[in-house]
Amino acid sequence: MKKLASLALALLFVLCAAGLVFAGGSGEKAAGGKITIAYTGFPGGQTPFWAQMTEYVKEEAAAQGVDLIDLSPTVADAAQQKDSVDNAINRGVQGIIIGSIDNRAFGESLRRAAAKKIVVVAVDTAIDDPQVTALAQTDNLSSARVMGQYMVDHLSTKGKVLILGGTLGHQTGDARRDGVRQVLEANGFEVIFRAADWDPAKALEIATNELQANSDIVAIFGAWDPGALAGLSAVKQRGLLGKVQVFGFDGLPAAFKSIKDGELVATIKQDNKQMAQVIVRSLVAQIKGQPSVKKLLIDGFVIDKANVDQYMK
Amino acid sequence: MEVTSRISTRSQILKGIQPLIGLVVIYVAFAAASGTFRTFDTAQTILTQAVILGTMAAGPTIVLISGGLDLSIGSLFALVAVVIGLMLNAHVPVAVVVVLSLVFGAVCGTLNGAITVGTGIPAFIGTLGMMKVYRGIAELLGANQDMSKFPDSFQAIGAGYLIPISIMVVCFLLVYVFLSRTRMGFNCYAIGGSNEVSRLAGVPVRKYYLIYYTIGGFFVAVSALILAARLNFTNTSWGNGMELDAIAAVIIGGTSLSGGVGGIGRTVIGVLIVTTLNTGLSHLGVSSSWQRVSIGIVIIFAVWLDVVQRRRELRA
Repeated sequence: MKKLASLALALLFVLCAAGLVFAGGSGEKAAGGKITIAYTGFPGGQTPFWAQMTEYVKEEAAAQGVDLIDLSPTVADAAQQKDSVDNAINRGVQGIIIGSIDNRAFGESLRRAAAKKIVVVAVDTAIDDPQVTALAQTDNLSSARVMGQYMVDHLSTKGKVLILGGTLGHQTGDARRDGVRQVLEANGFEVIFRAADWDPAKALEIATNELQANSDIVAIFGAWDPGALAGLSAVKQRGLLGKVQVFGFDGLPAAFKSIKDGELVATIKQDNKQMAQVIVRSLVAQIKGQPSVKKLLIDGFVIDKANVDQYMK
Repeated sequence: MEVTSRISTRSQILKGIQPLIGLVVIYVAFAAASGTFRTFDTAQTILTQAVILGTMAAGPTIVLISGGLDLSIGSLFALVAVVIGLMLNAHVPVAVVVVLSLVFGAVCGTLNGAITVGTGIPAFIGTLGMMKVYRGIAELLGANQDMSKFPDSFQAIGAGYLIPISIMVVCFLLVYVFLSRTRMGFNCYAIGGSNEVSRLAGVPVRKYYLIYYTIGGFFVAVSALILAARLNFTNTSWGNGMELDAIAAVIIGGTSLSGGVGGIGRTVIGVLIVTTLNTGLSHLGVSSSWQRVSIGIVIIFAVWLDVVQRRRELRA
């Protein structure tokens, strides 16, 4: 029995030691003078847009000479992300960048951060709270209107348009829905909106069902590229390629490839590299007490067959 | 009919203590490695982060000891959360929302029990089916609904440290009293030890199972209430995989998956091990993917200990 207990202890020690190794010796010293910031974004495993964002944030942090801790959760779970913010606060970082899974979840954590004079900034998705002191994001509403107009110009027949949205109440998803919807409805299209919770599997299911139920759907707009591509799969499965046009939003490599292949009609390119750079610089400047950018809305632009080659590497 | 759990052999005691030793070792190791970990704030945060998993795991503790299993609790969590959101959207008074959602959770729990007991379908299959049913209904009710920005009096349920932690402690105490002070509670061990023997000894096994599953549903609702209040929104995707997280925490604490052995104290330790690992690894800058890997290893390790000990007991 004793042997077993000591074995248990030994294994647990190994586990903890392994944790230290994984950490790469990042035992941060508050007194060291070097600035440490934390980042928690939407899980990159689910959307490449966020995997890119994480890389850009890391690059810019390195360029600014600050330590960055990535606390992004692996699943799109708002509760886990809130926990990661709380952990960052306890770790005593000087600043936190949040790319929120759900922008409504952070109220209390933000007040704790404020009490500890930790600067909190948002990237990609606005967080409606006075404690969040900077925001860099795509101007989703105006970019979505641009997309809406593009769709109006490129759809030859009027009919129903299916919008595959993000999570209902999520600021970026709602803005993209509203922008596209306003323009389409003003031009005599009927819009069917379905929230797909940023989940491509759900988007595929919804698109399949809606296409089955509504033979007069002429186009699908996916509020994010993986959702749009899921919609495209549904269109292909039902043999409607060419009859139902599909449009996306994000500007991911997979979408570019699909545009080049003549399947996806167009997407909006979001400049996540610029977003990452601006937000890291703003955060570091605020920590140092220097003047900084407080709000940057970046215009997205349409990528279609005419210009996709320029953006494919 | 003496209760199996009362047999306090040396190995039984040791088995209860091992997870506690594990918890202490993990905590001390992190505290030694990270200056920011060994603060009061962090300890408070660990307890707060344990609340959702802890209240959720209270139910499976009873169900697993009785030899049952409920895979539907993660989906039920989402369904209860949606029901809470819809009621609050409809301006139902907060007190009524709390009571109705607890009743709703309990009734769904009873339904799970009834399906398992009434049809003789294995609990794994019966509750797997209900997992799909609850998730589907949650999506039907909650799709295309914005359920957020709840009244302050509702948000208070999950705000800060004190209220959520107190709710969790009360839940644990209730389960403790149930398991150790009520006939229904300690028969849980007997039923888990041997269903058939208990039945022959005159224990109303079927009726008791209904009650165990009902209690499970009730705690799911408690957990959903706290999270909805804490995050100030709900949606249909909540609780994905949570049934397994809760079962894992119970098992890491040393409650046996095969029934008859366990206790709420062990679950408390199991939940704290999981939460401490997550928080501690975050403090060391370990990515959440590695956090998952380590939790996985701990689960295997905990169950392996259980297996080894059972083998020794058989030999002895």
